[in-house]
Amino acid sequence: METITTILTNAFHVLVFPGLLFAAVVGLLLAGLDRKLLARMQRRIGPPLLQPFYDFFKLMGKETIIPHEANRKAFLIAPVLGFVSLIVMMLFIPIFGYSPFSTNADLIVILYLLTIPAVALIVGGSASGSPYAGIGISREMVTMMAYELPLVIVLLTVAKKVGGDELVFSMQKIGDWQAMNGLLISHWSLIPAAIAFLLVIPAEVGTQPFDVAEAETEICEGPLVEYSGAPLAMFKLNTAIKMFVMTALFTFLFLGGIDTGIIALNALIFVAICAVVTVLCMTLIHAITARLKIEHLFKFYWTFVSALAAISLILVWLGL
Amino acid sequence: MISVQHFPVIAVMGLFLCAFLVEIFGAKNKFIRNTIVLIAAAGAFALIASLIKPVLLNGEIISYWMGNWEPVSGYAIGIGYEIDALNMFFALLVVTTILLAAIYSIKYMARDHHLGHYYTLFLMLSGSVLGLVLTGDIFNMFVMIEIMTFASVALTAFRNNKFGALEAGFKYLIIGSIGSSMTLAGIALLYAQCHTLNMAQISAALTNSLTPTTVLAFALMFAGFGVKSYIVPFHAPAAEAYMTAPTSISMVFSGMVNKAGVYGMIRLVYVIFRAMDLAPLQLILATFGTVTMFIGVTMALAQHDFKRLLAFHSISQIGYVITAIGLGTVLGLEAGLFHAMNHTLFKGLLFLTAGAVLYAAGTTDLDKLGGLSKKMPKTTVCFLIGAFSISGLPPFNGFASKWMIYQATYEKAATTGNFAYAFVTIVALVVSVMTLASFIKVTQAVFFGQLPENLKDVREVPLLMRVPMWIMSVLCVLSGVFYNVVEKYLLTPAANAAFNVTNYIDKMMGDGTAAAAGVTNITVDGATLSLWNPILWLVLFAIVLIAVCIVVLTGENTRGRVLAKTENDSEDGKYATFFGGEKSTHSHVAGSDLFWGFKHDFKGYFKFIQGMHSGVVSDYALWAVVATALIVVLMFVFVH
Amino acid sequence: MFKKIIAKSMAKSPWIYHINTGSCNGCDIELVAVLTPRYDAERFGFKLAGTPRHADIVVVSGPITSQSKERLIRTLEQVPEPKCVVSIGSCPRSCNVFKGSYSVEGPLENYTHVDVSIAGCTPKPEAIIEGLAKAAEILQEKREAMGK
Repeated sequence: METITTILTNAFHVLVFPGLLFAAVVGLLLAGLDRKLLARMQRRIGPPLLQPFYDFFKLMGKETIIPHEANRKAFLIAPVLGFVSLIVMMLFIPIFGYSPFSTNADLIVILYLLTIPAVALIVGGSASGSPYAGIGISREMVTMMAYELPLVIVLLTVAKKVGGDELVFSMQKIGDWQAMNGLLISHWSLIPAAIAFLLVIPAEVGTQPFDVAEAETEICEGPLVEYSGAPLAMFKLNTAIKMFVMTALFTFLFLGGIDTGIIALNALIFVAICAVVTVLCMTLIHAITARLKIEHLFKFYWTFVSALAAISLILVWLGL
Repeated sequence: MISVQHFPVIAVMGLFLCAFLVEIFGAKNKFIRNTIVLIAAAGAFALIASLIKPVLLNGEIISYWMGNWEPVSGYAIGIGYEIDALNMFFALLVVTTILLAAIYSIKYMARDHHLGHYYTLFLMLSGSVLGLVLTGDIFNMFVMIEIMTFASVALTAFRNNKFGALEAGFKYLIIGSIGSSMTLAGIALLYAQCHTLNMAQISAALTNSLTPTTVLAFALMFAGFGVKSYIVPFHAPAAEAYMTAPTSISMVFSGMVNKAGVYGMIRLVYVIFRAMDLAPLQLILATFGTVTMFIGVTMALAQHDFKRLLAFHSISQIGYVITAIGLGTVLGLEAGLFHAMNHTLFKGLLFLTAGAVLYAAGTTDLDKLGGLSKKMPKTTVCFLIGAFSISGLPPFNGFASKWMIYQATYEKAATTGNFAYAFVTIVALVVSVMTLASFIKVTQAVFFGQLPENLKDVREVPLLMRVPMWIMSVLCVLSGVFYNVVEKYLLTPAANAAFNVTNYIDKMMGDGTAAAAGVTNITVDGATLSLWNPILWLVLFAIVLIAVCIVVLTGENTRGRVLAKTENDSEDGKYATFFGGEKSTHSHVAGSDLFWGFKHDFKGYFKFIQGMHSGVVSDYALWAVVATALIVVLMFVFVH
Repeated sequence: MFKKIIAKSMAKSPWIYHINTGSCNGCDIELVAVLTPRYDAERFGFKLAGTPRHADIVVVSGPITSQSKERLIRTLEQVPEPKCVVSIGSCPRSCNVFKGSYSVEGPLENYTHVDVSIAGCTPKPEAIIEGLAKAAEILQEKREAMGK
């Protein structure tokens, strides 16, 4: 009896909360919010909040055409692979102390899991055999190299701040530390790191001005150029969930100590903070900027953002 | 019944013996030749594998005196073989590589001539590397290094009808000889100082007696083993050797020849000189390692030949290993050993796939290939496993070992308060992404994208070539998922052996020698690992995957159809790739300049670093000599 | 149930791919005007797609010229079903003032089935939005027919 209960609870965790269903619904809602608010910022009425859901279901109902230059298996498997790894990552990020599996993850694992969806996009695009996709994957990869440096520095800064003279990469300990010593963002030495992380999010998700890889006006959506129907729906869903995962990671790392005692309320506050972060770092920047060139993007991350992160690292290293 | 202590020497001698038997009996007959080679390789594998139980599981140390020349009044006069967990670990890597390379060679080399010579050299190389890691005598080690170097040179130039083969062999010869000479000079100085060539006895004699002579000897041997493990700036000839040698030999080079250098380095700093508690030496090793990994990977990003790119990655990955073993902590040494093992597996696998591409398509130029995944699906899967492993994607083995390296370096930074190690962690993490980038480049340029017209008839490679690839792929996945098992049964004993030198000395020279010389043991528990449970991850992954599959498959009526081109459809139209409405023509985005945006921002650096790799052997020799001088100065300033 | 949701979503999220087959650019400008804050077609879910593989509605403007004919047919083929073809302006209907030119091949109907045709030289943005909304309804009908 007990084993059945355990299996059922774990299945619930994986499939409903905080796994598959929760991540997908919140991700799509965040994407809808992003589009709606972007429209309002541009003085438009904008699409309904549920627009990403319509897009998703519509794409599910379309034909999937596999071009004859494509490698059929890799072309179809890639989006599923990215999707699944994003969901699994969601299971490892604690929602304000509530986490069914997070004791099994640390920051480095999260950092590497984050690369899998991007690799899935790259492999899928590469497998489609289109030259536009070829250029797209090249840009996607350069974007990845660009944001990885500041991201790495931010994560190491957090680990040092929490750990002191010890080595702490554990997610659980970061949450506990914040519950005891106050939110990480309230320590002034970490504010540059937090800003750097906020700037990493749009590149990781691929929103303007960092959407060079999927520039629809110049390289026809890059890696996605040959995708249609269900695999495309999967990729669109991946982008939406990635939004949630990245903002959730920010919320956990810098605001992770909030606890009201009620799981539902916690989750609600968590999602609300994620929404605020989404608006702050994606919608706002999207509304006021135009797309960068790839070499400018790379330079931006390796100089300005990395410098911000490095300031924090040095401050933390000096014991501040 | 031969007792187990004879096994190592039989394995080495068997390989050397068969090297000559191949030439005598197998020069004409293909069947006899292959049989002898396979028997030699499988025999060495079986003999070494049978030592797993006593050495790794029971923790015994096996010693063997050649010709029963045992020590006389406390002085070793004969050649001794001594196998503890450390060289057992490397011996296992070596015999696995030998066996798989031998199987692979049968088909891969079938189109070449003078195969008797090839196998002679191959078995000489195998025997010498195995002897190098098993021996307990430092001059015997030098002899093995010499055999290894000259066999490698000859094998590099084996396909001397190909452009650049002789040149690469010549460069290898020059730089390799510089390395060997350094080692020999170091050994001579040690012999003058300690009056013995037995490593255990030298280790005992050197306790608390660092004189200028021994420091010079240390610096020279350090440089010598640096040449053998191709750390920057000794790396230049390695890239060309790996490229022009037959691919089965490239795999041997990266799988065991440079591991021999790493082994020598570990033996030197941990056992013979026991110098790893010196903070400056740790920093020097970590610096060399970090520079090596960064220069290796950036050079790899600039390459447009598959095998040359892999060669630079070999250099880069050795940088990780050297950094990790230079930390001087248990976790660091374990991480370094684990990464050395993983490097043997995934780089061997990648070289084998490169060989398969060369065998099937006739070229490894990234600009001339493309779309091979449709013709060689099995090779593609193997390549992707290797590429994901080397880029450190979970749950493959590269992730487990790199993750241990990051932990080790950052822990070192936190405990010593030295910011330099935090910088090392950052560089290591960024280099990992660049590794991924350059394998994405290969994936796009060779396996995906569009198939050129002249490669329409390419076929999958024969089964005998695929078997070693599959074995390596499976090992890559298994050692990544069950890294706990690897850590417990392979890494912890090996790291313990490196730290607990007294057992090593006592076993060889008789109980009490170590205590008399004043050698103390450092007690070591297993490394403390943080949390990462790949099995749980895989289970979750599988559950979500199944859920998604159920949703997708039950929606067959609901969702749109999946359409692929059938015989009746024309190539132009619905199933053609989108070209802005134009008729689709062959336009493959090739690999040579894929990461333009990245290179543009670093154009100064790339110009400099490519200018430095001038291809002129005297330049490379100059680097080697200058670096050796630098090492000598560093050792005298900091370590003395 | 999912069938219904999918069919309904078809009408709510039509993505547009625009092909100019030799238009004078007048209609193209008006189509862009439709997406501006003043008319904001995105409130109905309309979005410009970058490639025909993502498109639901193909908008054609201009007479079919001998240069563009082949490309038009190929691109239309690459759009996954269900799809709608909408013509904007008088040119795709009748070739307008270009009729009789040596390089004009003829109206759009000769090469494909046109679902909605928006008349005018150029049509007003309001007219274009209405036409596109009609096309979206047709999409839903086509999807429902596909499901059976």
